This record gives sequence, structure tokens and C-alpha cells, in this order.
Amino acid sequence: MRWFMRLIRRERLERELDREIEFHVEAEIARLVEEGMTPLEARRRALAAFGGLEPIRERARDARGTRWVEQIWQDLRYAARVLRRSPGFALAAIASLAIGIGANIALFTVADALLLRPLPVDRPEQLVSLNRVGGGELFSHPAFLKFQRAVPIARFTAGSSTARTQISIGGQTELVIGQLVTGDWFDVLGVQAAAGRVLTVGDTRELGGTAIVVLSHEFWRRRFASDPAVIGTTVVVNKVPMTIAGVAAPGFSGLSVGNRVDLWLPVTMQAEVRYYTNSWTENADPRKPWLPQEGIAFLNVLARLPDEASRAAAPAQMAQVHQQSVEAQAKALLDPAQRDQRLRERLELVPAWRGNSLVRESYTEPLRVLMITTALVLLIGCANLASLVLARGSARAREFSLRLALGAGRGRIVRQLLTESLLLATVGGAVAIVVARWAASGLLRLASSTATPIPLDLPFDGRIMLFALAISVLTGVAFGLMPALQLSRAGATDGLKTGGRVTSASGRDVRVPFGRVLIVAQVTLALTLLVGAVAFVRTFNNLLTLHTGFEREHVVAARFEPRLAGFGKEQWPALAERLLSEARGVPGVRSASIAVNGALTGATRLSGGIVVEGQPSRVGPEWSLREEMIGLDYFETLGIPVLRGRAFRSTDVDGAPKVAVISEAMAKRFFGDVDPLGKRFGYGTPPEVEVVGIVRDAKVDGPRRVVPNIAYYPLLQNPDDLANNLYVRVSTSPEAVKPTLLAALSRAEPSLAIREVVTLAELTGRTVTRERLMSQLTSAFGLLAVAVAALGLYATISYSVARRTNELGVRLALGASPASVRWLVLRETLLVVGAGCVTGLILSVVALRYVGTLLFGLTPNDPTTLAAATVTLLTISLLAAIIPAVRAARTDPIRALRAE
Amino acid sequence: MRPNSNQLLARGNVRTARGMAPDRSDLLQGTLDMLILKVLAAGPLHGYAIAQRIGAISRALFQVPQGSLYPALHRLENRQFLAATWARTESGRDAKVYRLTPKGRRHLQQEVADWQRLAEAIQLILQTT
Repeated sequence: MRWFMRLIRRERLERELDREIEFHVEAEIARLVEEGMTPLEARRRALAAFGGLEPIRERARDARGTRWVEQIWQDLRYAARVLRRSPGFALAAIASLAIGIGANIALFTVADALLLRPLPVDRPEQLVSLNRVGGGELFSHPAFLKFQRAVPIARFTAGSSTARTQISIGGQTELVIGQLVTGDWFDVLGVQAAAGRVLTVGDTRELGGTAIVVLSHEFWRRRFASDPAVIGTTVVVNKVPMTIAGVAAPGFSGLSVGNRVDLWLPVTMQAEVRYYTNSWTENADPRKPWLPQEGIAFLNVLARLPDEASRAAAPAQMAQVHQQSVEAQAKALLDPAQRDQRLRERLELVPAWRGNSLVRESYTEPLRVLMITTALVLLIGCANLASLVLARGSARAREFSLRLALGAGRGRIVRQLLTESLLLATVGGAVAIVVARWAASGLLRLASSTATPIPLDLPFDGRIMLFALAISVLTGVAFGLMPALQLSRAGATDGLKTGGRVTSASGRDVRVPFGRVLIVAQVTLALTLLVGAVAFVRTFNNLLTLHTGFEREHVVAARFEPRLAGFGKEQWPALAERLLSEARGVPGVRSASIAVNGALTGATRLSGGIVVEGQPSRVGPEWSLREEMIGLDYFETLGIPVLRGRAFRSTDVDGAPKVAVISEAMAKRFFGDVDPLGKRFGYGTPPEVEVVGIVRDAKVDGPRRVVPNIAYYPLLQNPDDLANNLYVRVSTSPEAVKPTLLAALSRAEPSLAIREVVTLAELTGRTVTRERLMSQLTSAFGLLAVAVAALGLYATISYSVARRTNELGVRLALGASPASVRWLVLRETLLVVGAGCVTGLILSVVALRYVGTLLFGLTPNDPTTLAAATVTLLTISLLAAIIPAVRAARTDPIRALRAE
Repeated sequence: MRPNSNQLLARGNVRTARGMAPDRSDLLQGTLDMLILKVLAAGPLHGYAIAQRIGAISRALFQVPQGSLYPALHRLENRQFLAATWARTESGRDAKVYRLTPKGRRHLQQEVADWQRLAEAIQLILQTT
């Protein structure tokens, strides 16, 4: 940094040098006078000995070694002065760069946080998560203990899926995200306590365990304002009083990026806190505590392989342990097909340094596409700026020629022009950082299916700064270098001749083709982005307008969780009756019903191992059922037509013959050509559930998912299940019904927290959040790209017309019609745009194939999409060219010729 | 105010000018540096005194090109062989006084050793032919 100090002390150093020389000269004069010289003569001699002060100053400056910095400084000041002289250009450039670079930084920030950052735990690279290939990723607690005992060279820990948890603090109830974990969770992950203590192995030694919770730092800050006094106090979690033991280290919010855990509970409290969220059950009773049961898998198991030895040996040992469990479980299976499938299962270790993330899974691909999109937008912006710089440069040709003639090197001029571009890019980049902060959090809001943004930390640190700096410099070079090289190539004499007039476009001038190449490139990229935008907008529309098989606009859903509010199977029937009768009383409600998982909630219950009367047994995911427990009037309320047979009746109760209504898809898959009515199916032999009706297929998981095989069972016949959804069919505006329905339900049971009241149309919208994000962002970028390209085209054509004023004047004077002159200009445009369209279409087809998995309802080379985008682009391009064309035709020949 | 382009060109031309007319002092550059260091090894001095001292010691055989002295001093200061402070002289004026740094002292020893080896070698060649 010494050169930097010298640089800022430049003025002082200059002054010091002058004083030093002055001292020297006066000392010399004094000596000469002493020798008998006249003072005047002495001064002359002394100065002569120095031989001119300026060269010495110059060489002393060189000797200081700051010459290059000083030159850059001077270049910068000169560039700033040049840009100040054309504020319009500078502002437009900075604004477009800020948007272009800002979009890139924003996407990088989100992608970095979601895809690239390791978990904030101790040495995350040592972590692996265990996965059962062919059996899901969940393990039972006994299986976890087996790993721990049999493979001591690795350290194991396990946590459940995250679950909505009701917490009451001083009488106030709210829903947060909780997770059950084993006692060694924090120890194995290396997460310390920020206050109080975290869970330890001792806390999960006994079933029913220590009633304590650990808060996440974020939740502690949000809910308790980081008050250390809350530690040791009691909160009620899902109706169980529990003591707050401590707060985990800041930054740690579980292993699932984009899904924050607010509190951790000991796994031994599973039954007490009514955790029933995500499990895989086989030969087990989910109503009893899960921990001792081998048949209930609900834990994600993680292992830390701390050293080379464990990395080498532990995987094989774990695989062996797992193999033994699989063989033992397979033995218990009676069905040979199921047994074979189970025996094929094997263990896989997945690196867990980034954690697991559903958000990541669904957004990796969209983020990649969006990053490419923004990069392309920036590239178009660069091409546009390059043509602008070029056009401006041609206007400055005289200046450059003069400087070349006076002996400036070509490198010096390139450097000067590059300094200007880099200055613009850096200022644009600085503004872009602000834009990006705002845009990145906006992106999380857009990507979220609910009103709250996806909880994701977006740190602003060195990585982001480095990216911002790199992309700014790259941008500056990208749009500055080519024009700089082009412009400095001009000979010293060219620009000085007759004021830089161009007499013809005979091809001697290299600038025009380069400008056209830029336009073709812009059109190509803009068309590609436009095609992408059209494809995503159509995908979104296809999904929204797709017939899902049930009414969406006129069905209002109320969502709640009676189990978390402390209701059991005994109180449930009365509560259900109260809720339904209050709901039916709301004005505008035609019918009301309830369901356990319901439509579009994301909750599902799948069962395999279905046995069908008169059919061989079959295994595999395609032979699984989606189970749905519903109340009376469910089909009527949701508008799902009963095709054959009957819906449920009030006589289908516990103890009466077991009945089911099945969906068309299930009928086709499980019964084939056989008429299912009156046939039986079930989960054991002999099958005991009779099919009494068939209903139309309903895409209850959302329009993107495949049509599920659904078996509907009456809630009345399955008293262990509590409904989480209440539906009303309205004949008036659903918006008017929502508040009255909410009030009615609260009146029916004040202690039941209603999570939300929404229409099924709104819930459908949430299942296509990703597509909505893609269609909104890509169309915004696509239109931006087209606008930028059209502006570039307009500028280039106008410029070319202005340069050819002379030639056009001659043509008109010689009798060319205005129409032919207009055509001359339009032809030029069509040629350039046409070339761009051809390359753009080729690129589009390739690009759409790449994003094929994100599309819905259209093929990658969908002709409508390609045609729509091309026509739009052509129209806008022609509009951009018409103004200069008309202007060209209006050229006054006399004036044009006089302008010589 | 001068036109901008001229200003840039003026700076751009300096290098060329120097390149076309090599400075005589360039021939002596290494030597001058060594002489300055040697003189300062005896104690701190200001620029003028350094010039006088070199002239005196070399019995005026070696006239210090005054145009080269200050760039040389700044170069040596820049390389941290010299440190400088402003001090009042006997005549009551402020002068920049240079002093040898430990790094400069080491450099001087190195230079002197190199120079002596070179001188011996030249001596040898001159004697044999």
C-alpha cells in the first residue's frame, strides 16, 4: 500500500521536491557568491548546472514509482469529464448496467445461499446422510440405534421431518416449525448453545423423556427479542408444558435450507407432543409410541465420518448392518413379490454438507435457467452499449485522430476508452448492489407459495462483493474492448479529413459491419429470451386452465389441526358436527364437508401392498394408493361427479361393512376390465373393503402431478382419523363467505386455531408457484431484452441513415422515389433482423430442449410458441426501423448535398 | 486552460523524448547510487551536501550531474535504502536530510563487494593483455 500512500501524498511530495531543489540552488548561489561571483551570475550558473527543472521533476516522479497509478487516476478524471459532458448517455448506460448487473447479482445471491453454501455446522464435509435406495430416506429409531452400536467409528445422529407445531407462550398460541431430534444432534453436528444449553444424550435416554425444548437463535430473536431470561421458563408445545433449555448457535436453523426450524424437541417426546407428520409404517401401530417400533420409520439419519479410517471402513459396515435389518424385515413379509422388492433395497450414503432441501430440489433448475437468462440480458445490454460507445466513438473520431497524429500510442487510446467503459461499469455495479439486495429478497417472496417469503439467509459478504466486482469489470471489458480496438484502428489522418465525412458505404469502413454483427447478436439473444418467456407463460396458463376435476372458484377451504389443539378421537365427532353445522349456517353456503388431507394441501397418505379380490398381488410405487378420509357431501361440495354407484351415507359407520369410493384411475389400474362395483380390496387377506362407487379423477396434488389413484373412505367408519380441512361450496362470492366462515368456525370452537381460509383456486395457485415465478421473471426479462434490442436497432439504423444523408440526398436528387429510399432503409433492417431471427430460432430450439422438464403442455419445438415470439420481435423491430426510414425518405437533397 | 488532448499527449511524449536522447547519467546510475550510499554511510546529509561531498572526495574528478542527483535520491528513498527527515541547517533553512537505513547499509556492502570484484576482474584483464 506504500504506492497508495505516496499517491494521496502526491501534492506534498511535489512541494517537498520543489523546496529541496530551491534549497540546493540557493546553497550553490551562496557558495558561488562567496567565491566572488555576482549574485546574478551565480544564480544563472547554479540553474544552468541543473539543466532545466521540469525534466528533473518528471524523473523524480518516475523514481517514486507511482507513475502508473497517477496515469490511471488521470485517465479516470478524464473519463469522468467526458461522461459528464454527455450526461444522457452516462445515465442511460449506468441505469441499464445497474439493472443488468443487479439482476445477475440478485440471482447469484439466491443461488449461492441455496445451492453453494455449506451448512453452518462444524466441518460439514464430514457429514453424510443415509438413504435407502428403493425404500425412502426414513429409518426407525431401533434401526438408528443399531447403526450406532455396530459402527462405532462413525458418529450417528437422527432427526425427524420438520412439523408444524403449536406453541403457547403466556396464553398466546402460534404455529411454528418443530423437529424431533436425538440427544446427540447438536453434539454430532458441532452446534454450540448461544444461551442456556442444547440437548444432550441424557435427554433422550428414556421414553417420554425430558420435557425440554431448544430454540433456534432466529426464533429466540423474533419471538423473545433475544431475552436470556426466557431460559428455564415453561412454554406449552402441542398441549405439553416444556421448559426452554437453551438457544442454539446463531445461523443454525436445521439441515433443510429454505425451511427454518424454530424449535427442537427430544425424540423421546414423540407420542407426548403428538408428532405424526412424516412416517413410513409397516406391521406396526402408529397410535403407540413410535420409538420402540421397528416398523415405523420417521427419522433421517446422519453420520459424521471424522477421519480417513472411518471414511474407508464405515460405509461397508453400515451397508452390512442395513442388509441384516432388511433381511429380517423381508422374512416377516408374507407376499413373495413384496419380499423380493424389499430384498433389493440397499443403503446409500449421500454427502450432506449442504443439507437437504425441498426448496433446492424444486428451484435448482429454475435458478439455473434464470441465471442464464439474466446473463443473456446483460449480454444484450453489453452489445447495445458497445454499439452506443461505437456510435459515440465515431463522433469523437476527430479527437482520436488528432491524438494519434500528435504521437499518442494506440494502446493509450484503447486504455482511455476502456477506462471510460470500466468507470461506467463500476458505477453501474455499485448501484446494482443496491438493486440486487432489493431484488433478491423480492425473488424469495415470488418463489414462496405463501404470503411469507422463503426463509433463506441472504448474506452480503465478500463472496457477493467479489462476484459483483468481477461481473462489473467483465461487463466493462465486454462492452468497451471491441469498440476501443475498432476506434483506435482508425488512421491518424482519417478523422481529420473533411470533418470525418463518410462518402459511401462501400465497405472500406470497418465500423458498419461490426455494428451490424452486434445487432444480429442482440436480435438472436432477444428472440431466444422471448421464446423462453412465451413458453413459460404458456406453461403457467396451461397449468392454471387445466381441468383438475373439481370446482376451484366456488369452494372455500378452512384448514386447522384439531390434534395439535388437544382433541382426540373421543371429542372429535361432536366437534366435527359443531363445525359443520356452523359452516352450513353461513349465508351463501350450499353444502359443507370435511376431509383429512383434502385437496392441494401437500399432505398425502400413500399405501402400498394393496390386495385386490381376484387379482395377483403387485408391488412398486405405481401400485400405491392415495387414501382420503372424507365426510358426507364431500363429492357434492368439491364438485367431483359420482360416475357410478353411490357416495357415502350416514349408515356407513364404524361396525357396518367397510366401504370405499374409488377414482376412475384406481378402477382402471387395479381392476382393469373388471367392473369394480361390489368387488373387494384391502390391505390384508381376505380383502374386506367393498367398492360402492366410482368418481371422476381429481388432480388433488396439483395440476403438474400425475392423476393419483385415490381410494376414498368414510370418516365415520374410521374414527381414529381427525379431519384437518373443512370445505364449503358457495353460491355467492367466495370473498364474502371467507370472513363469516372464519367467524362461524371460531364460534363453534374457540380453542381451535384456524390456520387459514382460502379458495381452492388460491391453493391451486400455490402448487404452481415455481411456474408463476418463471413466467413472470422470464417475460419481464424477455420484454426487457426485446426493448433493449429494439432501441439498439433504432439507434444503429438512425445512425446509419445519418451517415448516409449525403448518399440518400444524391439518390433523391437523381430521381429516386421516397418509397424506394424507405425500402432501402427497411431492407437493411430486415436483413439484419432476419439474420438474427434465423440464428435466434436455432438457439431457441436448443434452449427449450434444455428447459424441457420445466415446461408443461407444450413440446420443446412448439411451433406456436416459436411463431408468436418471432412475429412479436419482427413487429417491434420494424416499428423501431420505420422512424429512421421515414426520416431518410424526407431527406432534402439540396441540404444533403450542401452539407459537404 | 489547455485542451485535454494536448495535456494527455504532453504526458505521453515524455517517455519518448527520454528514449530518444539517453541521459548521460544513465551510464553512471548504478555508480551514483553506490556513491550516495557510501557518502551517507558516514552520517546523515542533505542533498546539496551530498553533491559537495562526492565532488570533494573524488577530488572533483567526478562531477555529480545535478539533474540526476534528486531522482536518484528519491529512487533510493523509494526502495527504502534511505530515510529522510526535514531538519534545520546551520544557515537557518529547512533542508531534507537523508540517512542510511539498515537495509541501505546491507545494499551498500553488497554493491561495494560487487564493484570490487568487477574492478579486480577488469584489472586482471588489463594486466594480461
